[in-house]
Amino acid sequence: MSVALAWRIARREMRGGLKGFGVFLSCLALGVAAIAAVGMVRSAIERGLTDQGAVILGGDAQIEFTYRFATDEEKAWMASKATSVSEIVDFRSMAVAGEARVLAQVKAVDGAYPLYGQVELDSGIALGEALAGNGLPGAVMEKILADQMGLAVGERFKLGLQDFRLNGYVLREPDGTSGGFALAPRVIVLRADLAQAGLLVDGTLFDSSYRMILPPDADLEALSAQAEAKFRADGLRWTDKRRAAPGAEEFVDRIGAFLVLVGLAGLAVGGVGVASAVRAYLEGKVSTIATLRTVGAESGLIFRIYLLQIAVLTGLALVIGLGLGAALPVALGPWIETQLPFPAEVGFYPRPVIEALFYGITSAFLFALWPLAKAAEVRAAALYRGGLGTGWPRGWYLAIIGGLAAVLIGGAVFLSGMAWLALSVAGGVLGALVVLALAAMGLMALARRLGHSRVVRGRAALRLALAAIGGPRSETMQVVLALGLGLSVLAAVGQIDANLRAAIARDLPARAPSFFFVDIQPDQINAFRQMMTDNPAVSRQDSAPMLRGLITLINGRDAREAANNHWVVSSDRGLTYADGLPEGTKVTDGTWWPQGYDGPPQISFASKEAEEMGLKLGDRITVNILGREIEAEITSFRDVNFASGGMGFVMSMNEAALKGAPHSYIATVYADEAAEAEILRGAAKAFPNITAIGMKAAIGRVTETLTAIAQAVTIAALVTLITGFVVLIGAAAAGERQRRYEAAVLKVIGASRARILMSFALRAALTGAAAGLVAIVTGAVSGWAVMRFVMEADYAFEPASALLIVVGGILATLISGLVFMIRPLGLRPAQVLRSQE
Amino acid sequence: MDVADVWLTLQGNAGPVDILKGITLSVAKGETLGLVGPSGSGKSSLLMLMGGLERASRGRISALGHDMTTLNEDGLARFRRGRVGVVFQSFHLIPTMTALENVAVPLELQGAADAFERAREELHAVGLAARADHYPAQLSGGEQQRVALARAAAPRPALLLADEPTGNLDSANGSAIMDLLFALRDRHGATLVMVTHAPELAARCDRIIRLADGRIAGEGQT
Repeated sequence: MSVALAWRIARREMRGGLKGFGVFLSCLALGVAAIAAVGMVRSAIERGLTDQGAVILGGDAQIEFTYRFATDEEKAWMASKATSVSEIVDFRSMAVAGEARVLAQVKAVDGAYPLYGQVELDSGIALGEALAGNGLPGAVMEKILADQMGLAVGERFKLGLQDFRLNGYVLREPDGTSGGFALAPRVIVLRADLAQAGLLVDGTLFDSSYRMILPPDADLEALSAQAEAKFRADGLRWTDKRRAAPGAEEFVDRIGAFLVLVGLAGLAVGGVGVASAVRAYLEGKVSTIATLRTVGAESGLIFRIYLLQIAVLTGLALVIGLGLGAALPVALGPWIETQLPFPAEVGFYPRPVIEALFYGITSAFLFALWPLAKAAEVRAAALYRGGLGTGWPRGWYLAIIGGLAAVLIGGAVFLSGMAWLALSVAGGVLGALVVLALAAMGLMALARRLGHSRVVRGRAALRLALAAIGGPRSETMQVVLALGLGLSVLAAVGQIDANLRAAIARDLPARAPSFFFVDIQPDQINAFRQMMTDNPAVSRQDSAPMLRGLITLINGRDAREAANNHWVVSSDRGLTYADGLPEGTKVTDGTWWPQGYDGPPQISFASKEAEEMGLKLGDRITVNILGREIEAEITSFRDVNFASGGMGFVMSMNEAALKGAPHSYIATVYADEAAEAEILRGAAKAFPNITAIGMKAAIGRVTETLTAIAQAVTIAALVTLITGFVVLIGAAAAGERQRRYEAAVLKVIGASRARILMSFALRAALTGAAAGLVAIVTGAVSGWAVMRFVMEADYAFEPASALLIVVGGILATLISGLVFMIRPLGLRPAQVLRSQE
Repeated sequence: MDVADVWLTLQGNAGPVDILKGITLSVAKGETLGLVGPSGSGKSSLLMLMGGLERASRGRISALGHDMTTLNEDGLARFRRGRVGVVFQSFHLIPTMTALENVAVPLELQGAADAFERAREELHAVGLAARADHYPAQLSGGEQQRVALARAAAPRPALLLADEPTGNLDSANGSAIMDLLFALRDRHGATLVMVTHAPELAARCDRIIRLADGRIAGEGQT
């Protein structure tokens, strides 16, 4: 039968208007809008990062070194290529004002900084003016740092041995994004003013970077290759404006993809609404379908007639959803730009629209297909008896439904670029739907059984509520599925968030040290150790020499290639040396070098990382340390636990190999919390150059980041819940006619309005509670899976957020139900019953 | 049409219910047959089986050279297309379509290029040409049933089935509809099987079969 005929009939059918399709349109439009909006913001940030690459980076290109400045040869090379070069040093130090000592991230700049953009200060004056000072060198810092020190503009503070005057607060650094995660707030000074500070000495942990303005016709690719070929072995790291902030880019990409997946869960919730709406619509069309069958229409034609109608409605929902999704970020553009730590260029981007379009179309048809298939199977005899039927559709319809699900999941895997996560989310949603469906069936069966039991005799309101939950045409399945899935997503987010916070805030400090002390000079280490030993509050201290090195070659091959870009070789890593086997070290394979060994360099590698990199005993590793290449043979593997919060080095060499290299010491100090401030004061007084990193401050910074991520995810999850709420309202609206009739009959037999309302409320509360309880179970399982397999951390059930979910579930069904409960109560029974005849 | 030992068993809440119990009958080409009997005797069910709207649980029904018991739902729909016209007590017009469109649908399904012209003629024949663009909700019960008659007759079916076509109408409208039904039958020479409670309507048929409790309880010529 031709599609043209199906379309003609479909068009006539649609003349009746879109009544009853509010839920369908809202569910689909909301889901699509959420996905499109997330994608738009992600694209806006990505474009911002790309377009403002030079500003973010602070130059057209940047060359970075660890623990050293560029050599004359390197400087000459840069000068030959660039029209302008700016040198910047970045390191951590303690900022001291009176008794206050706060960890700060120091950026020491030259007069050329910033090459692009402007540092915005609250006072509005230029950076150069603020740093110039007046007799005393000037400095600017983030306000939070000044607040921590109790410092006001115009007052003095110290970095190392040098005094500075605070001349303003930094509002925005143009190159603030590219540096990645910082443990401490920023202070900016002139490099020249640090000459007498005693901070930048041999072995200090610092990064130097050289930002360059290149001629407009410079070939970045060729320059990058040239620099890498010439200086990579010396530990050079090249970045250019094409990818100015790869870390930020990757972060935005990942969090964006994750939010889209959360949005997909929202679309699944909307799918339940779509399926219900389509089913309700087709239920109302059974007599039309049966009539068409009577006059000779085949099932294929019926299927096409209603498929076309769903296609038109889907199109409409997509237009609304995409319009909203594209318009919202644009409308909120100025606000979004101020909220993000990244530059964003809010505008219209086609890719997220196409992505949302794909998700919208596939999920609409995926969820509409089942009722459509059932409609196609309506027999002519349905004119006399029967509706859409409850069984499974025919095999090939099931095959198409399966195919669409596969396309949707495959699309999510492809578009998110995070296959494992996309599959997990899909599996989680499917699993939750199955569990929720089973729970709804269980609840209905239980309600039927309880409704007939003696327990509820004499409790008319409860019996009526149970009968409505378990009876035919009950809304239970729809409500439990939609609300349950929405709450499951929220519960999972809540469990993961609470567990992560607990892991960081509670578990880590229990075994982590109070302080890391860095930049301890070799001539200070013994005195430092003695000081800690003498302090009775210190329960334990560890110290080790620390250098940083970049693995350049493995068995003579490029390390990144040989180790498949493992994180250990992606950048420079901390390494240490030891003579004898340090206390507590567990060698898992091979043998530790003998005491006093001074033969060819040997290396002991962290066993887990070595296994991931495919290393074996006897392999030769070339490490670039401060521009010097050292080749060492792997002679042992040892256990290193990076999760303990203590010291952990991927590589340890024999003492003779590294002792001559300039280096400093790192120490961890474990102490009672009450004594921490005293330890810090004592150490700072005796060793002004050393830097203390307090665990609490570090945890605070990590928690801040975590809070921001959790907020973003919660907003995405809320869209899921709103969709669930729309489905609930749809179900409640659809049930209003039934409730009107029930209320009328109950009034006839003498029930008061209060009792009827109580019965309706009980029904809603019981269904909501069931959805909430299942959500807790699915949320807890998802939370456990994420903590166990993604975070590789322990999981503990968090009851507080779980309780909120159940209460939320009950409230949501009560509120959505109440709106449609009040009207039936006000109608006179005769009025209602006459209309039923 | 031959109906041989046909049973219809439906699943009720309390278990299977035999609606028809071994019905055997034949209807000759061009004959008019009245099915009468008390409520629940199985008249409408038998009519549905004859039109392929319901499938027999046992037995065999053949009509116009087709064994209907071997056809699936789509096969039955194709069988009805152009061959069988059905008129119901509750009219069963498609509410979203105008009178004209309702009549045109079976012709469109047949692939008739002139579906709408022929539909208009049929509406004219039942006296509703002026109401062609009205929706069912805008028509009276009698008018709706006339549209249903036009729809049933439009493809010139060999078999016309009517299930209490005047059951929902007052006597004046009912009698007008019956006149029209028989006029259409006479015009196209179709076989007519009609379920009715009214003895005076049954009397207009060539033959009457009386059903009781799912069985044929009597048969007679009028």
